[in-house]
Amino acid sequence: MGKNLKTATIVKQETNQEPSPKAPVPKRPIWTGSLTIGLINVPVKLYPMIYDRAFSFHFLHKTDGQPLRYERVCTKDGKIVPWEEVVKGYEVAKKEFIIFDKKELDAMKPESDKRVRIDKFIDYFSIDPIYFQSSYILMPDKSNDAYGLLLIALQKKGKACAGRITLRTKEYPAIVHAYKDALILTTLRYSYDVADPRALEELKQLKEPAKAELDLAIKIITDLSGEFDITEYKDNYREKVEELIKKKLKGEKIVVEQPVKEEAKELMAALRETLQQLEKK
Amino acid sequence: MSERLTKVDFSNLGKILFPKRGITKAQVIEYYIKLAPRMLEIMSDRPIVLTRYPDGVEQKGFYEKDAPQGLPSWVQTVKIYSETAKRDVNYVIVNDLDTLVWLANLAAIEIHMPLSCVEAREKPDLVLFDIDPEPPATFEEGITVALLLKEKLDQLGLKSYVKTSGKKGLHIVVPIQRNYPYYTTREFAHLIGKHLAKETELVVSEFADTKKPNKVFVDYTQNSHGRTMVVPYGLRATPEATVSTPLEWMEVKKGLKSEELNLFSVVKRKKDPWKGIFENRQKLEVK
Repeated sequence: MGKNLKTATIVKQETNQEPSPKAPVPKRPIWTGSLTIGLINVPVKLYPMIYDRAFSFHFLHKTDGQPLRYERVCTKDGKIVPWEEVVKGYEVAKKEFIIFDKKELDAMKPESDKRVRIDKFIDYFSIDPIYFQSSYILMPDKSNDAYGLLLIALQKKGKACAGRITLRTKEYPAIVHAYKDALILTTLRYSYDVADPRALEELKQLKEPAKAELDLAIKIITDLSGEFDITEYKDNYREKVEELIKKKLKGEKIVVEQPVKEEAKELMAALRETLQQLEKK
Repeated sequence: MSERLTKVDFSNLGKILFPKRGITKAQVIEYYIKLAPRMLEIMSDRPIVLTRYPDGVEQKGFYEKDAPQGLPSWVQTVKIYSETAKRDVNYVIVNDLDTLVWLANLAAIEIHMPLSCVEAREKPDLVLFDIDPEPPATFEEGITVALLLKEKLDQLGLKSYVKTSGKKGLHIVVPIQRNYPYYTTREFAHLIGKHLAKETELVVSEFADTKKPNKVFVDYTQNSHGRTMVVPYGLRATPEATVSTPLEWMEVKKGLKSEELNLFSVVKRKKDPWKGIFENRQKLEVK
């Protein structure tokens, strides 16, 4: 199969041109553990790689510009419910719930054993990207030699490792492959979390196209074929909002007043006392 | 806010940082505010390092040398080339209440300082003896060794100060004139340790012996450039919210419990046993 060709195309996409805006540089690991392949252990740190950089807006009160907050309100009496009185309910039938408290649910969560367990080596391109969930940069954790060895070996063989990892409290299938001279861990979706389009009846009734139509379609595809360059794509909405923010910054800005909460009041009293003491010195 | 007592904008005050004792971030900040006058006297002008526990001490903290992101303009920092990181690191200097409060608001529960100041980084003004009992030896054996060490220092005419480490050990420091490089203070601390080890079975003075069970290591190795100790009155990331607590020597005796010196009890202590420590900078002369 044209496997080599595919690889070549993909390498070409990775131009060294810095995309604009610049991609963030991860600052600290979100997980540390080790990559285990049989009896071999490579200590690694996991850095975030994927950033969702959508703008987040806050809801404010139009009349005075103050931030709004949400309250949990009981649907029966309309009263605000404090967190201590909140439990989780699983809806088994309409308006019928099975109640769980936090302890019950926590007890069932798997604990991370701080390992990426590698089961086998596979062809990276044999996995459909549909299953890719999120990617992380693996960094050596005082294990430069072993890390480097694995990286080069994977590059030379063109293989990826397949295994599993527990992040927070969820276990994921995962693969590790070489990308831009680093090992990248990608968590995968479970097969049963991805819908199979063949289950949709409508798709089963598609007709065979007429030859002339098909020829035309193929011609269009050939004419418009090109290489894919991800840096050509930008979030126009984001750029426009950024521009608007800059404009607004020059003009009027709403200053948020901080209400002094009950707990902050005690801090204020302590601050006052300490400031007095420090002044005396 | 009508009056502005601090430049710090508090956030997530209700967040639980010590789950076992139910201690919130507000309580941690309050603790540091109250102890600030005693802490600032000692930690000022020193490039500090932090371990932050934004999700509480039961979750993994992260060690931070570099000034954290979102550094307000009023926080003082100093750029120092780090040999381990092979680059300039921007260290925070805590010379005022606001900076300490800001750190507390960042859940910087553990604050560590070097034994020298920014203006004389290679000339320490403290010699540190880190008394570290190896189980089954406990804090109690640590006390025995601390008292022996004090006696030794007394014999040399050196006034020493003691604090708990907040964990299983004790820290004994001798304030000195800024005339000696680290290798001298390190050698000095090592020498004292060797004497103690010779006289007392319980003590080991060599790094290679630190893991010998039921021994107490008098650690001299902290007297080095780039090494740090937890600041006096600094909280430790332990379930009990223990504090590295400065003590009067008369308090250091059998029955003293390290874990009873915590956020709740230390804030009530009126004593300041390390007060004026730097008015008593001594010469290091071994006769």
